[in-house]
Amino acid sequence: MASPYRFIGKTTPRKDAREIVTGRANFLADRKFPGMLHGKVLRSPHPHALIKSVSRDEVMKLPGVEAVLTWEDVPNWKGGTPRCTRILDRKVRYVGDAVALVAADTEEHAKEALRFIKVEYEVLPAVFDIEEALKPGAPQLYEDFPGNVVTPGVPFFGPKNLKEVVRGDVERGFAEADVITEGTFGYENMPNPIPPEPPGVVALWEAPDSVTLWVSNQASYMDTVILSHIMERKIQPRTIGGPCGGSFGSKYMSWQVQCYAALLSRATRKPVKLVLTKEEHLASFTLRPASRMSAKVGMKKDGTVTAVQGTWLIDTGYYSMTTQSQIAVGCGEVQIMVQCPNWDLKPVIVCTNRNASGIVRGFGGQELKCCLIPLLSLAMEKAGVDPFEFLKKNFVRPGGGYFWRDGIWYNHRGIDHTKAMERGAEVFGWKEKWKGWLKPTAVNGPKRRGIGVGIHGSADIGEDSSEAYVRLHPDGTAMLFSCVTEHGTGQVTNYIRMVAEVLQLPMERISITPPDSLINPYEFGPAGSRGTYAIGAAIIAAAEDARQRLLELIAPRLKAKPQDLDTVDGVVYRKDDPGVKIPWKAMAVDRTITGYGRFDPDYSLVNCMMTFIEVEVDTETGKVALLRVVNATDVGQIIDPPGLENQLNGCLGSAGIDSAIFEEMILDRSAGRMLNANMIDYKWRTFPELPVIENVVMETPFPSHRFHAVGVGEIATSPGPSAVLMAVSNALGVWIHKYPVTPERVLKTLGKTGSGKGGAA
Amino acid sequence: MRSFTHINARTLDEAIELLRKYRGRAVLNAGGTDLLSALKGEYLSRYPETVINLKSISGLDYVSEDGGLLRIGALAKLSDIVRSPLVSSGYRVLAEAARSVASPQIRNAATIGGNLCQDIRCWYYRYPRHIGGPVQCARKGSGPCLAVRGDNRYHAIMNSRKCFAVCPSDTAVALAVLDAQVHVSGPEGDRAIAVTDFFGPLANALRSNEIVRKIEVPKVSVSAVQTFLKFTVREPIDFAVVSVASVITREEGVCTDARIALGAVAPGPVRASKAEEMLKGERIDEEMAAQAAEQALAGARPLSKNAYKIEIAKTLVKRAILR
Amino acid sequence: MEKRKSVRPVAFLKKGEDTVVRTQKLTRKKARATERISLTVNGKIHEMEVGTASHQIDPAHTLAHTLRETLGLTGTKVSCDHGACGSCTVLMDGKAVLSCMTLTIECDGKRITTIEGLSDPETGELDPLQQAFVDHTAFQCGFCTPGMIMSAKALLGENPSPTEEEVKEGLSGNFCRCISNYHVVKAVLAASGKGR
Repeated sequence: MASPYRFIGKTTPRKDAREIVTGRANFLADRKFPGMLHGKVLRSPHPHALIKSVSRDEVMKLPGVEAVLTWEDVPNWKGGTPRCTRILDRKVRYVGDAVALVAADTEEHAKEALRFIKVEYEVLPAVFDIEEALKPGAPQLYEDFPGNVVTPGVPFFGPKNLKEVVRGDVERGFAEADVITEGTFGYENMPNPIPPEPPGVVALWEAPDSVTLWVSNQASYMDTVILSHIMERKIQPRTIGGPCGGSFGSKYMSWQVQCYAALLSRATRKPVKLVLTKEEHLASFTLRPASRMSAKVGMKKDGTVTAVQGTWLIDTGYYSMTTQSQIAVGCGEVQIMVQCPNWDLKPVIVCTNRNASGIVRGFGGQELKCCLIPLLSLAMEKAGVDPFEFLKKNFVRPGGGYFWRDGIWYNHRGIDHTKAMERGAEVFGWKEKWKGWLKPTAVNGPKRRGIGVGIHGSADIGEDSSEAYVRLHPDGTAMLFSCVTEHGTGQVTNYIRMVAEVLQLPMERISITPPDSLINPYEFGPAGSRGTYAIGAAIIAAAEDARQRLLELIAPRLKAKPQDLDTVDGVVYRKDDPGVKIPWKAMAVDRTITGYGRFDPDYSLVNCMMTFIEVEVDTETGKVALLRVVNATDVGQIIDPPGLENQLNGCLGSAGIDSAIFEEMILDRSAGRMLNANMIDYKWRTFPELPVIENVVMETPFPSHRFHAVGVGEIATSPGPSAVLMAVSNALGVWIHKYPVTPERVLKTLGKTGSGKGGAA
Repeated sequence: MRSFTHINARTLDEAIELLRKYRGRAVLNAGGTDLLSALKGEYLSRYPETVINLKSISGLDYVSEDGGLLRIGALAKLSDIVRSPLVSSGYRVLAEAARSVASPQIRNAATIGGNLCQDIRCWYYRYPRHIGGPVQCARKGSGPCLAVRGDNRYHAIMNSRKCFAVCPSDTAVALAVLDAQVHVSGPEGDRAIAVTDFFGPLANALRSNEIVRKIEVPKVSVSAVQTFLKFTVREPIDFAVVSVASVITREEGVCTDARIALGAVAPGPVRASKAEEMLKGERIDEEMAAQAAEQALAGARPLSKNAYKIEIAKTLVKRAILR
Repeated sequence: MEKRKSVRPVAFLKKGEDTVVRTQKLTRKKARATERISLTVNGKIHEMEVGTASHQIDPAHTLAHTLRETLGLTGTKVSCDHGACGSCTVLMDGKAVLSCMTLTIECDGKRITTIEGLSDPETGELDPLQQAFVDHTAFQCGFCTPGMIMSAKALLGENPSPTEEEVKEGLSGNFCRCISNYHVVKAVLAASGKGR
């Protein structure tokens, strides 16, 4: 069938392609300003301590040093949910916590100055384990959080915001079950999203109450909103985004690094650049939350889940900015995955003395599923249920519902994802390869193959609000005002594509404003796969509004009603007589036409991704090789074929599938140091070990916006990790439930190693 | 990086003289791929005052064969060794080991001398200054080895004392199995050290102000099968979790000569002498290989988290023998 | 400046020889003049003084620093800054090296090519490899792309018609967190044979 679209779904070069391949894309670290200073952070050697004194007399005498700030010098700016974490505090809560800030003329001078700041600490006992932190007598991180339990709830999500999944009657559910399984399952390896470009900022404090920040963030408008809160609404922050060298959610919360630079600029009245080193990025920026769940599930022989009951402990590290939000969304997503009537799932957020957890692709749901699917797998094995059939059966269908993050019940009014799942299974060859639970697909000497499957779906594709303007110019060009930064998805080009389709204007004639909070309207930013539906809808509405205004203005000139007119390539014409036409110039050369569009949150559409995994395990070395990945999804309408393909291939990286294979942050649990805060010891996927990836993409029109599309980029990472565990378990014939499946764990599971000190068993 | 003065040495003797003059306040730089990491991380007890560049010494980057010996200048780059027809035809195990190092960019810069002299990879030892470090430990002369009670998944399973880091060099393992000698020059003159004697638990065998000059490798029988197997978490970039190099000669199925070296299990490459003896004169089959592998790891004493390395090492030894 | 003892070789080594170098010690008669190095970057020769002033090359400056901060060639990216990610890859005398792990002072006389040096300086026409990256959308966030292209450029320089495996091996030191790797492999294969 021929596409009805001129631009949508067509492969075109990205708008920024030339800048990127020539090295001219101006990333944050590439920016320079006259008189710019460089900021550095002195970081704590202790996981938990009080700062008794800081001596900086020597420091100010050093060449180039212009400011040194400690907790005593800074305003009472606080972040966190609730806001309990001071920008610089008298107390340090993890190895790497900020103790002092320095600004100097060069990076080296700033770094050198750190060596001369003398700090006296009163070292406090520290706690690194979720359950240890909950015990009576455990070291307390905050007075505000007795027992280290972080206050639940996200006021931003509304008065009924989701804090748990409690509904139905679990006792009755268990009574109806044919099989019941229980246990404790974790996803505690704290994979790190590590975008290649580290977090950073340039701040310029200009007036007593205004600061401009050049930021690197996927959602640069929100920096203004977040900073305004943190700066107690006394300061007017303006944020200017630019090309963002990856974020995967993480840079959404860059308030600390931004405040450090702002404070140093406030002290010096010069622009201050502060870019974290990769070591700081890994050891002091945000990680994926660590989860441990003790739960019990009931299941019928046909795979119907009758009850889920349990406690979900979430280690947020030394503070939480968004962990409550991740829990709320995770709790919503788990109901989408398992349409069960009886729930009693209670999350508890715990703080411990390590660097903080924060936003990562998969936002709560990945964390929860990585714990829950292994438990469900035990029940499936007992009940003799095929996991593909199980996931297909239990996923929400149109009419099915869930409580979303705002605590409100929604019915999915979107499409049935079953077709995409079945097509995925067909491409993967699930039926031929599935030999039953704990049975390998193939055995070749010491090498055994196994398969697994996972699923994820979210109603966040319509989360939060977006606004946009589209301005038409008499010369037949248009400008999109939208505060979106390009962070890799290609969406900036796609928004231009959407405007082009609405206005029937070549993409070359459409530009987009810089992502500057001063000139653009509200934009929550591309997150949670909301870019295509939520942002797209606002932009489409703005373009439609502009088009309507144009036609209304031109109508008298063409002696027609606006509804009888159309526009193409900057010319307005009569639909009944295309020869009667007039260029946009007719609006008057001293006029522009601006349309406005807004998207209000809609939690009634669900996207879905099913991921099939095949692994080969060398049972003599414990090495797990990822052989093949099949992602199956339905996007309604493909907007940008290569961009979508790229996003789906992203299932491996950014703390996704590989968080089950080799990605983990390794915390020394006596001293609290992250041992592998570098990119040799933190493992990431390399070219020679790329598996085969096939992406099965269906296009069943969604009731979203005029292009019937929804986003799926964010969720690509999420179904895979638990599928890897399933595949490895099946290959080995023994359950393996710990992430990641390191050679050590595999060999141990096979009984091939002792526990050390005394030789192999 | 913090500043330092920099001197381009033009001869080996000049470099030795400079080392002597700076009395421990100067460091040598060849490929730079290891040194720069140390200078950036500032985790060593002392930051060098001077960096002495060795690349400015001409004529030390040769790969040649002469009188039944392969000679490799200390400044020969790993990529040159990989590409050398001489090495890949007669000393294949070395070519494979060199090729297994890091990445193409690193191999284009790293030298064989540097690969042998590189510092250990222990994550306690290398913990960076700027994140609340550096960490003191036995190797830095203060306190115990932190890996013993900490996360020692990549640490030594044999022959260690005080410091439990392993030798990270891949070429060292190949050179050990090839019975290579490291020729060093110093203020007292020149001497040769067997590769297996070059490494120790706390430092290598270089005396103060000595510099590696070249490596000499005796010719290998053309009928010998040379193998280098490296187990890593990922294929490129990573340092070995365990590696095994072997040179095995068979005549009509019977082993006439067997040489096996283990890497990343101890402070230096370890020759599995008893396993080698065991194989000589025997017909090699699965069972024999498995027995030799057991023997090769008989002396292993793992730490709390690295017993799995024994199993991997046994597997690699077995596979190398059967190749 | 302090007088510095120096040494002069009396016998030079030739490639393949194993002559032990014997030297005699000399004392420099004059204090050293300001040391200079010469670097050819993208065909342009840069004569630079060594020293600690802001316009000079500090001995501790990496090539990445010099390219980005001194010469303003910010196309070369620094990500890990420890030789593990390949973002800072440039060509030195045609070979891919990591500019974050190279001291500028040790690059005297070297020929460096950065991402800025690939397109035609007159016409702006992209290198076929760059064009292939554009055509295949072989990037997402684009931060690793310059390093990726430089590694691929070095590979095609040595091996104009690589196999898929060889492309993967050639790029084995380059990190892409977005996982554009699959499109990169396609782009490099498409550009192979068409390169210069």
